[in-house]
Amino acid sequence: MSEREKEIERSAEEIVESFVEAAKELPKLKETYYSQEAYNIVRPDGKPTPAKERAKFRKRFISNMPTSDDQGNLKVEVARWAEKR
Amino acid sequence: MGRETLEKLDAIRRGELSAVENVQRALERIKKQDKRIKAFIELNPNALAEAEAIDRMLKRGERVGKLAGLAIGVKSNLNVTGLRATCASRTLEDYVSTYDAEVVKRVRAEGGIVVGMNNMDEFACGSSGETSAFSPTDNPAAPGHIPGGSSSGGGASIAAGLCDLCLGTDTGGSIRNPASHCGVVGVKPTYGLVPRQGLIDLGMSLDQIGPIAPDVQGAALLLETIAGKTPNECVMLDVERVSYMSRLEGDGAKGMRIGISPKFAELTDPAVMGIIDGAVEKLRELGAEVVEVELPNLERGLPAYYLIVSVEFFSATRKFDGRKYGKRIEEVCGEEVLRRILRGRYISRKEYRGKYYQRALQVRTLIRQELMRALERVDVIVGPTVPKLPHKIGEKISVSAMYAYDYLTVPANLAGICGGVIKAGDVSGIPVGLQIQGKVLGELDVLKVMRALEAAA
Repeated sequence: MSEREKEIERSAEEIVESFVEAAKELPKLKETYYSQEAYNIVRPDGKPTPAKERAKFRKRFISNMPTSDDQGNLKVEVARWAEKR
Repeated sequence: MGRETLEKLDAIRRGELSAVENVQRALERIKKQDKRIKAFIELNPNALAEAEAIDRMLKRGERVGKLAGLAIGVKSNLNVTGLRATCASRTLEDYVSTYDAEVVKRVRAEGGIVVGMNNMDEFACGSSGETSAFSPTDNPAAPGHIPGGSSSGGGASIAAGLCDLCLGTDTGGSIRNPASHCGVVGVKPTYGLVPRQGLIDLGMSLDQIGPIAPDVQGAALLLETIAGKTPNECVMLDVERVSYMSRLEGDGAKGMRIGISPKFAELTDPAVMGIIDGAVEKLRELGAEVVEVELPNLERGLPAYYLIVSVEFFSATRKFDGRKYGKRIEEVCGEEVLRRILRGRYISRKEYRGKYYQRALQVRTLIRQELMRALERVDVIVGPTVPKLPHKIGEKISVSAMYAYDYLTVPANLAGICGGVIKAGDVSGIPVGLQIQGKVLGELDVLKVMRALEAAA
């Protein structure tokens, strides 16, 4: 970790600890994860996107890929931890 | 006062101003002024062609949408097909959107023309508009000062008249803060009213997309356009569509119960508070009943917010590993983004026995309960938006001083309620915005109070 990262991490930790201190005397209540409780977890299947639009999407998607092979497949770096094995 | 947006729409519909002329003028103003302001990161090369299509429809007498011919700026954390959703970060500086966010689809369906992508604080992490990787944004209403953030480009665009309306996002005040500093209108909708699909999130349980506009009717019109449920959104209120425009005028603020809290004066610069007190007095003159409400733990929301948002942001940024697109975020991001990522990682690693995140969610419940209790007694709560005046661009301030800009705006995000901002006055030429917080789905009351003040100005 660089010196910059270490310094930023220290300031980040300070803020966390100051929160713990500030919240000490507050009542323990039920946690609020989302302020509304209406979830729509399962999305319904919509109409399939037209083939022309799918092709355009694929072209746009591939244009964002940092590296690809001859067939347009995404090439990704092997995880660093795996290389060390 | 405050009919600028509707008058322009009428002129376009009557043929007195073509959509092409309107968009062309916006592009010319951007070309002329944006070298100094830096409110836009990228312009839409198809904007004029899209305007021509609107003009053709009008000539043929076809039905056009409610935003027909208006020039719209979009914050750079929303996806617009073919334009870059950079989040004002080197991480995504080359990322070209592959689809339209749901709100952008709705704007386009109503004839709005996206003229470009607005500058912002990097990944919406900031309250000043200075953390953009490309350039800080200037404040056209107070040149040399910060415009506020994170929707800095949106606030500055409207203040300078670079476009007609903007889409911003608000996680802890990112629409309301720039609206206040730039002297324009901004609305953070109730959580779950506007679909977030297509938004590159900062804090998924807090983010909402909303309008920034030169007037209340413009904000109401854009909010009507983007609000309402879609099956593509996971967390949404069961609201089909909303309608505000026909109900904005009426009796104005007459008979409305307006809440104020002594807590606001404790947290706010006296010069800012003086302007806010003047606006409250004005509402009283307009026939509103002013009632004092208790918000004893309001300031506790800020540290809880920064814990929650850091954990959610840390989670949201794990996809920016530089493999499928973009660059690895930790390697290229700015200081504030890195601080939030590292804080989120620290909390996530140490989150045993609910010491941090879970505790912050309990404080969130406390803030929510207090605001809900107060809003049972009144229609809206009014007060300052930002506790102090904006600093000068480039001035070094501490992290805690920067976070302090958000004291008065984060409670609405924690509680999931709505809030709007309108200019209340100025201190030595620097705008000061009045914040009006409303109940869950209380946007109409918020807009009515704002409109009453605007009409009386």
